[in-house]
Amino acid sequence: MEGILGNLGIGFVEVFKLQAVTIAGVSMTLPFNILMCLIGVMLGTLIGVLPGVGPVATIAMLLPVTFNLNPIAALIMLAGIYYGAQYGGSTSAILVNLPGESASVVTCLDGYQMARRGRAGPALATAAIGSFVAGCVATLVVALFAPPLAEVALKFGPSEYFSLMVLGLVAATVLAHGSLVKAIAMVLFGLLLGLIGTDVNSGVLRFAFGVSELADGIGFTTVAMGMFGLAEIIANLEQKGEREVFTGKVTHLMPTREDFKRIWAPILRGTALGSMLGILPGGGALLSSFGAYTLEKKISKNSHEFGKGAIEGVAAPESANNAGAQTSFIPLLTLGIPGNAVMALMLGAMMIQGIAPGPQVMTERPQLFWGMIASMWVGNLMLVVLNLPLIGMWIKLLTVPYRILYPSILLFMCVGVYSLSNNPFDVLLMALFGLLGYICVKLECEPAPMILGFILGPLMEENLRRAMLLSRGDPLVFFQKPISAGFLVVSIILLVIVMLPNIRKKREEVFVEEAT
Amino acid sequence: MLHSARLDPEEGGGAMTIRNPRDFWAGVMFVAFGLAFVLIAAGTPAFLDPVLGALKVPGYQIGSAVRMGPAYFPIVLGGLLATLGAVILARGFVSGRSGEEVRLTLPFNLLDLVIGLGTFALLLAYGDRVGLSLDGAMLAAAVVVSLLAVRWRPSAKPLVLILAGCLAFGYTLKPLGLVGASLLLIFISALGGHEFKWREVAILFVVLVVFSVLVFVKGLTLPFPVCPGFIDNCPIR
Repeated sequence: MEGILGNLGIGFVEVFKLQAVTIAGVSMTLPFNILMCLIGVMLGTLIGVLPGVGPVATIAMLLPVTFNLNPIAALIMLAGIYYGAQYGGSTSAILVNLPGESASVVTCLDGYQMARRGRAGPALATAAIGSFVAGCVATLVVALFAPPLAEVALKFGPSEYFSLMVLGLVAATVLAHGSLVKAIAMVLFGLLLGLIGTDVNSGVLRFAFGVSELADGIGFTTVAMGMFGLAEIIANLEQKGEREVFTGKVTHLMPTREDFKRIWAPILRGTALGSMLGILPGGGALLSSFGAYTLEKKISKNSHEFGKGAIEGVAAPESANNAGAQTSFIPLLTLGIPGNAVMALMLGAMMIQGIAPGPQVMTERPQLFWGMIASMWVGNLMLVVLNLPLIGMWIKLLTVPYRILYPSILLFMCVGVYSLSNNPFDVLLMALFGLLGYICVKLECEPAPMILGFILGPLMEENLRRAMLLSRGDPLVFFQKPISAGFLVVSIILLVIVMLPNIRKKREEVFVEEAT
Repeated sequence: MLHSARLDPEEGGGAMTIRNPRDFWAGVMFVAFGLAFVLIAAGTPAFLDPVLGALKVPGYQIGSAVRMGPAYFPIVLGGLLATLGAVILARGFVSGRSGEEVRLTLPFNLLDLVIGLGTFALLLAYGDRVGLSLDGAMLAAAVVVSLLAVRWRPSAKPLVLILAGCLAFGYTLKPLGLVGASLLLIFISALGGHEFKWREVAILFVVLVVFSVLVFVKGLTLPFPVCPGFIDNCPIR
């Protein structure tokens, strides 16, 4: 415990450190890291509030901007966007019945009903309090679990890494919406797309059709902005119908004593479940909020109220998504393996800064590692302090019509993609992936597993090659090493469980329920 | 009225009816991509060389399980993808969800897709013969496809105009500067929405251009030209 406090101390010192910086030609001394944290969480809340802009597209847009920042400031800001978006997402879910962010879909169910009964204030406050509690606990979870995990990970060889990635991909498909076979096919498709570019071992240019821009492979940012950003805008434009902003005034922010009695247990349960699901490869905020809502509905004694404005239905998922968002940093920081699309972008950001993600980060760059973790707690505090008073401003923002918003988003996306390498080719690729993403949505193929495959493709091939070289071509090596065999057995069990007829039916039911 | 061309060719035909067009076409897509990756990685078989002539694909080295060549992993993955694709395709004939018919509504059909992508391919390949630069050819293709969509496929407007706007921005940023490129992007993409109000879009354009110049060019010092190349004395550099 003492070690952890010491480590967190290093982190807090790093977060509040004064730095000499030059902004627009003027040099000054500022607590730069904490400022970037503030900017990150405010931006995150903003995009969380606005429906149709997700954290993936935003972080992708801002990646080029972080080139000029120091690594710690860049990562603190990007992390702030992710968990800030979880706060903001609840606002539009409760007030407009539109999830500002995909993890807030379930908050709409009860949050909007509460708002319709004039209890928007307590709903918003519950979401904020739940998120804050979850944020504090999750920060501790990361601080407690990351060091031992990193120690184990240091012993991993190529076969363990390969099997771990298989497990991550299997988990991503099992947890994806809709058809399992389609999700697996999307993973394979992503893995293949990830192989485009120069093969590291032989130097052969693969699948590039003589296009020199493809020599370094397709940029992940480009794919993410096309598949998530563009496809989402197009899908939004196809749906007719204006959204109605909840016009009733938000009064009485504070929940009553009765409310507090009802929410403390769901908040803790949501936090616990979210923290666990966040660590899983393929997990994160989205899965956590769905899981927590389903769990709460099952065990709450007020389950008949769910869907009609139960405060538990806001508290549990909102705590869970924030906890999940934060603990999903664990696999990235300790194993160097991203669990979801946002973490894949963070991995990209680390690589841009010249940091190879993996277990060695904690020992080689303790300031960076613990600074990031400490910033999460500080960021959560800022969110809860700033956001409740600012709620009026966010509500105003919601009245901005989408026809004004989407050209602005498009412009920022195009500028971001173009500036990656100052080449229009990246914009072309983004447009192509926008088309592909649109078709995938129409064919009910989830893009999230594909993105994960895309990131892991080159890593998997590399580790597979090394493992096979070491074992002299014996594929059984993956089952002879205990850790590697463990990962593979868990993957197989997961797949078998999901394919059992009973579970399959249940799984479909759960997703159908959530979709409506 | 939402125009929606349906993609299933076998509508109402006998025992081989496509029950779930979403599965069917997803399967087709996966099989096509899987086979394409296998074909490019493995190359076309040697006995076809006389037939294919210059079209022959050489492929990459496969290697062995111990020392995998660049083609090994892609062939395995591509084969798996094509197999799964075939399973999904077959499911399209068997399953309909709980008896009810699953409809696939795309605002374009397969022919439209070929025409759209073909326009780009043609103009990019032969644009220089009519004096178009790469930037010009891309812009021309984007405009042609947009006009086609506006005239004949109004329900595809969001898709086509959003993508065309992005392309127009990317390929005119150097010749026309940030001002010209964002003008194209904002007006083209705004036309893809439900309502289009000239004044509103014009104000939006001015606000966004001022913001982008201040933040991206001045603040973040991105190396973008601000004014079109043909204006000699641009006030902002």
